[in-house]
Amino acid sequence: MTKERRHVSCQLAVVGTGLAGFAAAVFAGNRALDTALTGNTGALAYTTGYLDLLGAMDGGGPPLDDPWQALQTLQATQPEHPLCRLSPASIHAAFTEFTSFLGSAGLNYSPPGRRNETVLTPVGTLKKTLCVPSTMAPGTTALTDKKPCLVVDFHGLKGFSARQVVANLGGSWPVLSAARLVFPGMEHGEIYPEVMARSLETAATRAHLAELLREVAGDVTTVGLPAILGIHRPDRVRAELEKLSGLRIFEIPTMPPAVPGIRLRELLEQVLPQRGTTLIPQQKIKTLSFEKDAVRLDLADNYGPIVIEAQAVILATGRFLSGGLAADPNGIREPLLDLPVSQPGSRADWFREGYTDRRGHPINRAGLSVDDSCRPLTAEGRPFDRRLFCAGIILANQDWIRSRCGAGVAIASAYRSVEQVRQLLGD
Amino acid sequence: MAAETPTPIPIINFKQQALQLLPDGASFDACLTCGLCSSGCPAAGIENMDPRKFIRMAMLGMNETLSTTPWIWCCTMCRRCQHVCPMSIDISQLVLLARSNWPNDRKPAGIVRSCTLIRSTDSTSAMGLPPEDFVFVVNDVLDEVRATQPAFAHLQAPIDKQGAHFFVNQNSREPMSEPDEMVPLWKILDLVGADWTYSSKGWAAENFCMFAGDEAAWYDVTRKRIEAVDDLGCSVWLNTECGHSYYALWNGINRFDLDVGFRLESLITYYARWIREGKLPVNSDWNRRAIKFTVQDPCMIVRKAYGESIAEDMRFVVRSLVGADNFIDMQPNRSANYCCGGGGGFLQAGMNEQRRSYGKRKFDQIQATGAAYVLTPCHNCHSQMEDLADAWHGDYHVVHFWTLICLSLGILGENERTYLGPDLLALLD
Amino acid sequence: MEPSTSRFSEPAHDTVETDVLIVGGGMTGAGIMRDLALRGIHSTLIDRRDLCAGASGGNHGLLHSGARYVSNDRESAVQCRRENVLLRRLARRCIEPTGGLFVAIDGDDPDFAAAFPQWCSVAGIACELVTPDEARRLEPHLSERIIAAYRVDDATVDPFRLALQHVAHAGSLTGSSYRPHSDLIAFDHDNDQLTSAICRDSRTGALLRIRARQFVNAGGAWAGRIAQLAGCPDVHLRYSKGTLLISHDRLTNHVVNRLRPPADGDILVPGGTVSVLGTTSLRIDDPDLAVPTVAEVDRNIAEGAMMLPVLATTRYLRAFSRVRPLLPAGDDGDDRHAVRGFALYDHQGDGLTNFCTITGGKLTTFRLMAQQAADLVAARLGNTTSGRTDTTPLPEDDSCRWTEPGAAPRYWHLAGNRDDMVLCECEMVPQSAIDEIVRCAPGAEEEMTLEAIALRSRAGKGPCQGSFCGIRIASYLYDRGHYRDRTGLQHMRDFFNERFKGMRTVIRGPQAAQMELAEALHCGVLGLDALDDEDDRDPLTQRLETGATDD
Ligand SMILES: Cc1cc2nc3c(=O)[nH]c(=O)nc-3n(C[C@H](O)[C@H](O)[C@H](O)COP(=O)(O)OP(=O)(O)OC[C@H]3O[C@@H](n4cnc5c(N)ncnc54)[C@H](O)[C@@H]3O)c2cc1C
Ligand SMILES: Cc1cc2nc3c(=O)[nH]c(=O)nc-3n(C[C@H](O)[C@H](O)[C@H](O)COP(=O)(O)OP(=O)(O)OC[C@H]3O[C@@H](n4cnc5c(N)ncnc54)[C@H](O)[C@@H]3O)c2cc1C
Ligand code: SF4
Ligand code: SF4
Repeated sequence: MTKERRHVSCQLAVVGTGLAGFAAAVFAGNRALDTALTGNTGALAYTTGYLDLLGAMDGGGPPLDDPWQALQTLQATQPEHPLCRLSPASIHAAFTEFTSFLGSAGLNYSPPGRRNETVLTPVGTLKKTLCVPSTMAPGTTALTDKKPCLVVDFHGLKGFSARQVVANLGGSWPVLSAARLVFPGMEHGEIYPEVMARSLETAATRAHLAELLREVAGDVTTVGLPAILGIHRPDRVRAELEKLSGLRIFEIPTMPPAVPGIRLRELLEQVLPQRGTTLIPQQKIKTLSFEKDAVRLDLADNYGPIVIEAQAVILATGRFLSGGLAADPNGIREPLLDLPVSQPGSRADWFREGYTDRRGHPINRAGLSVDDSCRPLTAEGRPFDRRLFCAGIILANQDWIRSRCGAGVAIASAYRSVEQVRQLLGD
Repeated sequence: MAAETPTPIPIINFKQQALQLLPDGASFDACLTCGLCSSGCPAAGIENMDPRKFIRMAMLGMNETLSTTPWIWCCTMCRRCQHVCPMSIDISQLVLLARSNWPNDRKPAGIVRSCTLIRSTDSTSAMGLPPEDFVFVVNDVLDEVRATQPAFAHLQAPIDKQGAHFFVNQNSREPMSEPDEMVPLWKILDLVGADWTYSSKGWAAENFCMFAGDEAAWYDVTRKRIEAVDDLGCSVWLNTECGHSYYALWNGINRFDLDVGFRLESLITYYARWIREGKLPVNSDWNRRAIKFTVQDPCMIVRKAYGESIAEDMRFVVRSLVGADNFIDMQPNRSANYCCGGGGGFLQAGMNEQRRSYGKRKFDQIQATGAAYVLTPCHNCHSQMEDLADAWHGDYHVVHFWTLICLSLGILGENERTYLGPDLLALLD
Repeated sequence: MEPSTSRFSEPAHDTVETDVLIVGGGMTGAGIMRDLALRGIHSTLIDRRDLCAGASGGNHGLLHSGARYVSNDRESAVQCRRENVLLRRLARRCIEPTGGLFVAIDGDDPDFAAAFPQWCSVAGIACELVTPDEARRLEPHLSERIIAAYRVDDATVDPFRLALQHVAHAGSLTGSSYRPHSDLIAFDHDNDQLTSAICRDSRTGALLRIRARQFVNAGGAWAGRIAQLAGCPDVHLRYSKGTLLISHDRLTNHVVNRLRPPADGDILVPGGTVSVLGTTSLRIDDPDLAVPTVAEVDRNIAEGAMMLPVLATTRYLRAFSRVRPLLPAGDDGDDRHAVRGFALYDHQGDGLTNFCTITGGKLTTFRLMAQQAADLVAARLGNTTSGRTDTTPLPEDDSCRWTEPGAAPRYWHLAGNRDDMVLCECEMVPQSAIDEIVRCAPGAEEEMTLEAIALRSRAGKGPCQGSFCGIRIASYLYDRGHYRDRTGLQHMRDFFNERFKGMRTVIRGPQAAQMELAEALHCGVLGLDALDDEDDRDPLTQRLETGATDD
């Protein structure tokens, strides 16, 4: 049976539905650019939901309290770093724009502040971040104020132990205790945070859980839960649970497969099309070709082939996990366009000896080199094509893992790229 | 005399088969064991299995366990796991393989029976309704409508009309157990002036041979239906409000590499088109009490086939029918939607406890919307969601699109209101 | 010999007593422990790390038929043949009788291939000619370029389970005990006798004195150093580093050997659900510095792919290096040609009457080595019971069953207990396995490390290499009260660091995706890279801590 090829034509095609791709689509939408977006599950799916700007300097050093000041240091020491492609003021604007978008769509975040927040991790260590989902923010307050607090975990939920969180935080948080509950309707077998979260979208489960929480809380008025407070409307789920239980409730992120990444993806995949983005979900671009009149992107979904024709493209395909880079035995490759990848001399140099070496692994700094407009460069150092821009952690000269700047790199470079696209297309 | 001991289930070497069935890069050895698939699979936990475990057990060589686990009849092959997997690994391929490997006497009897019945007559009806009975029922109902509904004294339900534009199929459940439910569809086709026909052969929609993993039978049914359309020289095979019938034919054509001279289309797309073109002048004025509706995206036509476009059409139709403010989407939805748990033959498999446990997620989703009605263009989804409302004590109703379209147009006959709740019935009085 | 009192002789540390102290928890040491126990002798086995931390835990796992050695070391070949037959019968559960193939490919020396059956027959080793087509039917991944093939009785062995069961059996017979992370650092002498050994706990630094009547050095590649500590300078070993790779998948059913004089990348051994490819051979000076390199990995893959082209593209999970201690023998430059035999030193010549060293040899011949060492020790103790390891089957012990690939999910599935959560999803190791190991596996203890648990199970051996299950098992151990403070975090970090050593050189293809996910989680989120200084450096924590003293 011959399959009809479906055509999409747009001003901007965004390749990748990680934080960078989504942020680019948000910024483009806000600037009235006609945008198409495609991408599969990638790194974003595993995130904690925290939006980090800069939590540490590459190569170790203390956790950063003031990321803005650190950006200035970075300007001086690593001018090639993607966070140095735009001013701190623009980065602030980008975070503000992105988090207000999320807020308006029903997922509130603390606005980017002057200082980093200190937040909890799944195992009870602490982490620095810039913007915190409002379901998690009360945890930071409780931590700072040393509020007597109960951490609750659930029978059947693997990899999240309240006792662990308490054991590891107990030293710095005097009145902290742990309790285990059976989640309503899930008495046996293993359960996933996603399933609990969906169940909490119903009033019946909320009422039931609120009652259990009230019983177990005793005198304590603040309760930390694993991140399960709904997928779709977490703020409402939390508010209702608080109302029903009379407790202050906050979320602690869990290890994958976890709720925050699913939340972000589902929300953005839902809201962006409502605001005019053409979304082709969970698919990858197969080929990308630069023709005279347009950039042509070919892909296929279950139904058949699709062609996107765009005036500009933002490549935000992530790293190895998402398929934006490929680690071949004889070198790192960019599989879509075979763009030159800045990388260590040989495979033997990809990793240091020690896994948790504070200096990070050289492979983490590999990626695409770009000019000041976020345009990927050819081996000769010229822009590959004036219509091609690049955003996110595929960019070279950053180690987001060590410097805790995943969201920062993604959001900032997406912002920069969209600004440049707008210039190219002449408003 | 029938053998007392059931036929043993042959053991499949899953790892080896996966090499052939799954494409490079999306094969099992690309799995990160991240668990996103299991987290998002409603069948996870049933029979102590989930998609990630299935993959790992295949890799660990637990062929016997996998070959014999009843879980393969609980996985509805909805492909949500593949949808959320960063490596796009498709477990349903192996589930189908495992199904096909079970001897017929071990497969869930309900599915096998339905497939046998499909092949027993030229109708390809899973309820075994022969062509002449179908023709009789259609004409009988038609006569009655003409006689009792003056506005439709001219109504047509053509059968075997050569050269008609649309070849319309029908789920057997209507002619068999609720024939009046066909009438709204006829009215709609009449209103838009469609040139359509039923066929006495190959008219039935459902195809359980696919779910039974009976490749030969699936092929056979596919071929029969193609022939029926070709015999009448129709240009469009218009799939009725049924999910898997579309998928079974469409996917069958691709899988068996068949050539057909007609297009396959879904009725939903046409509803949307006819509304846009003004041929179906529906509106939501009737919904004075702001009754809330949600919509169920059948996996078989949304995630597994058309994707976003049909999901969008469906929402356009619903919004037009009930008012944008009265439509509440389920979460997740569209291509990310959960299977209702009635698919893949689960409804026919006789594993009620498992099926309801699978469907609990669908039930929660519906409850979370607070909607009083679920609209869906799929009979399996329809029956399953009704059953879930019973099993888990929900207070929603499930309705067909055609019912609501006719309701909106003020042409829904007395006998065509089976699925309406008291609130809607009250509006009609 | 000078009666020396070591600087550790002050009574600041605990003392334990045993009849025989065995140093080195490799297969040889474990074998001696059981052999002695079967003669009614109590012993204590120590290892500075844990069971199979040396060559015994880092080899091919090939239970040689002997065919591998027929061309250059007939004595070893014959020993292997005999031991192979014995072990298959007596340690059934630890051995998979896979059979082996020797294949020559186009370009390999045809004379070698032609002489092979003759050599085998002289060593009494069964060897059956198969046509190249037949070989490919047996092993579909074999190259099209095969020109000759023979089938032999190679088998594979799970050294971890074998060692664990030996230790468990010895414990049940005589109450003999095993102590992990006990690094032998000195001996106390009294004239011609060693009187005690001093060990340092490699985790806590605490010292322990072990008094014994007899001392056995089963230190493998480290035997020379241990002998030195006892004042015996004459155990001269050379160190040959071998590097092996583990694939994600089991690629063949048989052991596949290249039919040519031993060289790099010429053996592929199935090991349960994976395959092990190796090996290279490189002379090094220090057995502690054996780490795999990218060059060795690539060399193995390139050579292996000549036999089995799939090896070029398959996903690898780990590469590791271990050291073969080679006894001084003829020197033709290639250590693979050195004699693979073993040596038992009675150290009589060094003026000691209760110390012996056994080293060299092969995993396949560990029983024989153990028997000879135990014969000497028993005689010195005046015990006249003869060795029984050649007739006594190795009993099963439940707590040792978790190392077998694919076994955990079988037990788990059979039990059908939904509440017994699977903690390691790759290898499907459930909670109940962890419980059993922590409770009663040989070497179990209160604050067991994740590495120790992983060694006694398949946890961490699958594609994620422990990156997820390390977190899940740790949190489970917190739940069970095994961890009560930040120790669990340190154990997690150490475990991931340890697993990484094996991954480092094979991170490519899908494994790079796996690695990125792991590192993002461990460092980006959990901050395990900054664990040590989280407490002293984090201003907030400092604030909180100062605050805490106010209350
Ligand atoms: C375990 C984990 C925890 C994390 N926690 C945090 C945190 O706490 N705070 C924080 O700030 N950040 C965190 N991150 C990082 C954050 O998720 C990433 O920084 C961010 O998602 C990177 O954005 P990206 O869009 O550049 O790349 P990705 O998220 O990797 O997205 C790349 C996208 O490109 C798509 N793609 C690839 N190839 C193609 C193609 N050919 N066609 C179409 N699409 C393609 C992929 O499918 C994917 O959708 C975490 C990441 C991980 C893995
Ligand atoms: C790469 C490679 C592949 C091989 N493949 C095979 C094969 O396929 N088949 C086969 O039969 N043989 C094979 N061998 C040989 C086989 O692995 C060894 O001969 C055998 O494991 C030696 O066992 P062992 O107990 O004597 O030594 P080891 O296993 O090395 O044990 C010595 C132990 O002593 C401990 N130790 C050292 N110093 C101290 C101290 N100061 N205090 C306390 N403890 C100490 C170490 O931690 C170690 O655990 C291979 C060897 C290598 C290197
Ligand atoms: S989602 Fe995909 S990669 Fe993750 S465990 Fe499932 S199949 Fe494996
Ligand atoms: S196809 Fe659907 S039911 Fe089957 S494993 Fe995947 S998500 Fe679960």
